[in-house]
Parts: sequence; C-alpha cells; structure tokens
Amino acid sequence: MGADMNRGKVRGHTVGHVAALAVIALVSAGCGGGDDVDLDDPAGGEGGGDAADGGNGGGSDGGTLVAAISAQPDQFDPHKTQAYASFQVLENVYDTLVVPDAEGEFQPSLATEWTTSDDGLTWTFTLREAVTFHDGSAFDSADVVYSYNRIINEQLANAYRFASVASIDAPDPQTVAITLTTPTPALLDNIGGFKGMAIIPEGSAEATDLATTAVGTGPFTLEDVGANGVTLSRYDDYWGDPALVDGVEFQYVSEPAAALTALRSGDVHWTDNVPPQDIEGLQDDDQVELGVTPSVDYWYLAMNQARPPFDNRDFRRGVAFGIDRDEVTEAARFGAATTNQTAIPEQSRWYHEYAPFEHDPDQATQLIEQTAAQSPQPMGLMVTDEYPETVQAAQVIQAQLAEVGVEVGIEQEAFATWLDRQAAGDYDAFLLGWLGNLDPFGFYHAQHVCEGTSNFQGYCNPEVDELLNQAAAETDQDARKALYDQAAELIVDDVSYLYLYNPDVVQAWVPGLEGYEVRADKAINFETVRLPE
Amino acid sequence: MRAGETLRLLFRGPTAIVAAAVLAVLVLTAVLGERLAPHDATGTDVSSRLQAPSGDHWFGTDELGRDVLSRVILGAEVSLRVGAVAVGISLVAGVLIGLLAGYYGRWVDDVLMRLSDVLFAFPAMLMAIAVLAILGPGSTNAMIAIGIVYTPIFARITRASVLSVREEVYVKAARSAGAGDLRIIGRHVLPNVTAPIIVQTSISLAFAILSEAALSFVGLGTQPPDPSWGRMLAEGRGFVEQAWWMAVFPGLAIFVTVLAFNVLGDALRDVLDPRQRQAMATSGATR
Repeated sequence: MGADMNRGKVRGHTVGHVAALAVIALVSAGCGGGDDVDLDDPAGGEGGGDAADGGNGGGSDGGTLVAAISAQPDQFDPHKTQAYASFQVLENVYDTLVVPDAEGEFQPSLATEWTTSDDGLTWTFTLREAVTFHDGSAFDSADVVYSYNRIINEQLANAYRFASVASIDAPDPQTVAITLTTPTPALLDNIGGFKGMAIIPEGSAEATDLATTAVGTGPFTLEDVGANGVTLSRYDDYWGDPALVDGVEFQYVSEPAAALTALRSGDVHWTDNVPPQDIEGLQDDDQVELGVTPSVDYWYLAMNQARPPFDNRDFRRGVAFGIDRDEVTEAARFGAATTNQTAIPEQSRWYHEYAPFEHDPDQATQLIEQTAAQSPQPMGLMVTDEYPETVQAAQVIQAQLAEVGVEVGIEQEAFATWLDRQAAGDYDAFLLGWLGNLDPFGFYHAQHVCEGTSNFQGYCNPEVDELLNQAAAETDQDARKALYDQAAELIVDDVSYLYLYNPDVVQAWVPGLEGYEVRADKAINFETVRLPE
Repeated sequence: MRAGETLRLLFRGPTAIVAAAVLAVLVLTAVLGERLAPHDATGTDVSSRLQAPSGDHWFGTDELGRDVLSRVILGAEVSLRVGAVAVGISLVAGVLIGLLAGYYGRWVDDVLMRLSDVLFAFPAMLMAIAVLAILGPGSTNAMIAIGIVYTPIFARITRASVLSVREEVYVKAARSAGAGDLRIIGRHVLPNVTAPIIVQTSISLAFAILSEAALSFVGLGTQPPDPSWGRMLAEGRGFVEQAWWMAVFPGLAIFVTVLAFNVLGDALRDVLDPRQRQAMATSGATR
C-alpha cells in the first residue's frame, strides 16, 4: 500500500493566481455576502470562541487558539478556491482520501488502504468506517464519487488532476475504484495533495452555499465567518482523536508588525505573517517561539521566448551566468532560503543536484554580446509589490546584469495587471514563485511541456516533452526519478526557467504552545495543538 | 503692487526667510544631485545592508545596502521635478480654463466649470490613482496625473478673480477703445488676477510633492530602483524595527519640504491679500 506509492503532489497554482482570486473575493464578499455572513466582530474576544462551542456539547477547558493570518480567504468552497488563506482554514475542516505527512509521504485519511491493479490502471480504495460529516450524515463511497465528479463535470480549477481518470465507481459503500486511461503514479498526490480535493457530502453543493459554509469530516467545524476573521469549533464526533483546543479563531492581520505585536502581547497564539527580515531579531526574543523550515516553494525568473533576443538560448544562458544567486537570495530573503538551480528543494527525495551556472560575468558578457539585439540590451523585468521579495530581487538582478550588458528596466505592477500581462505575453521577463508542489509532475510538467497550461514563457523542447510525458506514466519510482532528472537538466540548461531559490517557511507562536509542526508544504493543522497553561 | 515691495514685505518675518532658505537649499541639492551624493544611490551591496548611521553612511544603509543619504539627495530631484512639472501642468491648464470661463461667461463658463466640477468631485488621490491605472505607473505619468488633479483648483481660483476684474473700469475702457478679447485678457485681466494664483502655486507645490510621495508609496509613482522619498518610506516601513533610519530620513525630507512650501505660501498670501497688506504696511509705518 502506501509505502511504495509515490509521494508528492501538485498544489498546482501559481502564487499569482492565489492572490488574484483572494482580491476578487474580498470585493465580492464586501458586496454580496449579506445573508450567510455573520458580520458580528469575531475578534470581539476569545469569549466568542468559547460561546460557540458551548453549543457543540464538548468540554471547554482546551481554550480557543487565536491564529493571525495575513490574508482573507476568498471563499470556503474547497473545490473552487485557489487562495492559500482559504486552505489555511479548510485544512482543519475537510479531509481527503489520503493525506501527505510532514515528509510528503501519503498516509491513510478517509481511505484506510488502497491497492493498484497489475496494469496500474485501476486503484481501489477502502474507506474508513464510522465517519460522519459535520451535519451528522454518514460518510460513504457515494460522497467520494459525488465530490470527484463535481470537480470533473463542472471543470473546476483542479479538474486537470483527473486528466488521466476514466471513471470513478462505488462498488459498495466502503469501496471506491478509480479507473485510469494511463498509469498515473502521481494519483495519490492528485487526489490527496491538499484540501482542494476534499470530500464533501453527496448533494451538498446543491443544498447549501459551500462558499460561505462548510460540511466536512475534519477535526473542526466552520462556525462563524465574519469581516475580521473565522471561527472554528472542535468536532466531537471526529473520526480521529478529537482536537485538544475547543476552537480556533483565525484573524486577518495584513501588517506583519501588527501580527508580531499581537503575538508578543498574547492577543494571538500563532501567526505566519513573519517577514524574513524579522527572523534574526526574533531568534533571541523569548516572548516568541519561531518555526523555520525549508519549504517546497520556489522562485524563478522567466524570459519571454516569443521575443528576441530572449528566444535565443545563448542569450538566456548569458543571463543565467550573469546572476549571482547567493546575492539575490540574501537580498530577497535575508538568508531564509536556499539557492537552487533546479525547482525541487534538496530535502525532497526528488531532488537532483545540478548546478551548471556558476556566477561568471565574463562568460555572461560574451554570450550576451554575441546574441543581443543591441548594446546594452534592454530587458523589462515585471515584478509585483504583492510579493515584495520580487521587487528586492529585481533591484539586485538589475545591478548584476548591468555589468554584463543587459539594461534591466523594473516594471512594478499591481498583481491583477501583472497576471494580465503574463497571460497576454506582454513582457520581456518576470519574477515569480510556485507554491506547494510535492510531486515532480507538479514542479515541471505544466510549466515546461510545449502546450503546458502554465508555460507562459513559451518554452518548447520536444526532447523535454518526451521525457516529461514518459515520466508522468512511469510507475517505477527510480526510473521515474531518472526521467525527471534528465528533463530537469535540459530545462535548466535551456533556461526555460531561471531558478533562484527555495524559501523557508517562517511561522511564529507563543512559548508553551505544544503539538504544532511547521510543514514544508505550509499546511496548517491545529488538530494536535495544546495551548500554553 | 510692485514686486520689490512685495518681496520686502514677504521677508520681514523670519519664518518666510527660513522657508525660502530651506527651499533654496533643496533646489540646490536637487540640481547638484549626484555630485553631492557621497555614494552611488542605486548600487546595491547586500553585504553592507541595514547599517546604522555612521561616518561613512550618515543616514545609514537600506535593505539592499544602498546609502540612504545619497538616496534622499537624489530623491529631492525627483520630488521637486515631479512637483514643479505637475503644478506647471495644472497652472497652465487651470489658468487658461479659468480665464476663458470667467471672461466669456455664459455657456463657455457653464461647460468649463461643470467639467472641472466633475474632476473636483473625485477625491484627489483616488483621481490620481485612477489616472495612473490608465496611463500605467511611472514618474512621468505621475506628473500628468497630479497635474490633472490640481487643474480644477487653478481654474476656479482664476475664474473667481476674473469675474470681478472683468467688470473693472479699465477693462471696460480698453474694450471701448477697441481692444480685442485676447489683448484684454492678456494685458488687463491676467496681470490683475496673479496674486491668488501665486499663492495657490506655492501651496500646490507642497501638495504635489506630497501626492508624488503618496503615489510612490503605493508603488504607482517613481519605479525602483530610482530613489523617491515616498518609495523609500514604503520600503522602510517593513524595517522599522530593524532600521528606523530607512523611514525616518525620507520622512523628514518630505516633512521639511512640504512645511517650507506651506509656510511660504501662507506668507505670500498675507502679503498679496490687499487688506492684509494694508495692515502690514501700516503697522510697519507706525512702528
């Protein structure tokens, strides 16, 4: 079962899309949410959380955990949202069939075990018994079929994860069979990588408004959704060990300084709103417990391969030799990152050590001189203050490339404009990151196959296509890794993306908070957390 | 009123002298720019980032290791240039609109003034942000946006003065002597409506510099890596706990500049207002 399955998963949305949707949602919540949104101030004190779980019948000595998150969730429909802020909440409310542990290995969740047919085309999942949804109804295979078919039939954001799925059947209430058109080693990742693949009760999308309410099987129920935050209560009939705290209150605090002050004063217990420059100061701060761990995210520079001279491989290689990654990383992340010339971080079992570009201004100058359209070669570099590290990195890159014959013009855009320009191909180059991938399919496929849905840079190398497609269907893990390693080397050599670094996850909580684990995939789970005395 | 006497009255008080001196220093700083800056204002050096003020870096260094003093000095040029060009735009356009509306009256007045009422009805910053959303961010576009936003103020002030001047005997005399409209507007009306326009120009410069800082603060004005006080303030905001100097010095620069323009504007108003001027002249005589 699980052990020889591949790990990994795609949380395949650009940081970009995540934030854009969150912004739109902010606006629409402000305009239309009247009926279901409780506008009472949930920040009115921790008493609010206690009152909420009185109705749940549980003991109320665990207290309410207050968590400050930097952005407001756009909605709570797990199949529709792409906002990280939404998943921070939903992680605690919904379950998936399988779930990645902190190391990215898939473990049983709503499915207790699974088998794969010899041809790799049929996966059979045995479901957990005695699981109930928050509305009291029982969980069975019909709910799984309903949830997956909703994503597929309505062509929701994650429908691509079912690209190789031919059918989903429920032979009996405790069994689900997934039939594939081609072997799909990344299937567990596809159906369990994150809560975007959550199981909802059959018919719930029609019966209720999932954007503002939630009916999950997770350790907490979604109680109040307000303008300042979200309140969760412990679900006492949870299939696993019940949560230790009575409830969780998420507050939206967009200013890092405000979040840290609230943490120091004890108004909040936990926050992920810690900019990298604060890490050093917080390490000696005994009022704050700091959690720093390498993440699976990566940040990169991409050049528009539909425009000369950026379509020239040698020019791009010149740029790659001209950039000093260590300096860029230090500037953008204050050391809270690891430079990398490929996408996958070194903690992953899919990591492939490959770093052909040593900072070499002479070689850079030579390559750029031979291929540039003019001297110095202008290059617009699109960044967004939605992600300040792109603005900081861009200024260092500008100074570095000025020395090798490229005149970088920094173009700082609002994120919505940024996305429009990316989609329209209206740019020379841009800086951005990808979040939350676990499987190499998520790291490389859609970004680098010729017709890839996220291949905005216009890269096309038939050899890479061949390797990536082969790898996507290879069930032998070692052979699969070898294929991805080869593809990654070509992608790096061709400078389809110019990979820069893998940032660290930085979170902070009050001293004495127990049972919390900072995870590389940034999933935030308060199930096992105990508040300080 | 003669210019010489105006200046003499203006600089009787110490505040106006100080304000004018501060502005003179600022203009000099802006003109000398890079020759005055001790370091390269855009050259990054991550190894010397976030250094506290010292002998080498009087105002410290920022998050990319750039010298804050040099950036404040080069920022003066950006601020003053954007302020001057923006006010220049609104001055020319606004005065022209005001002269035409006030002098011709009737439908010309109605059309022009209703149009500027529409512009005036938007909050200034919202309007500037909207204009920049259309034109795209950048310091040139910021000048245009600020210029557009302040045009209606100049139009209104000019028109109000023209309305009274137009009825003066010397205008009627010129007209009966056969002078054309252009000549009357240029030779008789315009010179007699300058006082409030001068005062407004000085005050508008303060607002325009503040607007540029605000637009750059939200990322729509001057683009990185060019230094701008507003931009430096925005960048410094994330580092207040580690490096107060990143935000304090550009903030002080904005504060001093805007204060100087405002003080000078107030003093000018006192001097150019006929009643005030009378009082000042009298008190000077009896002293």
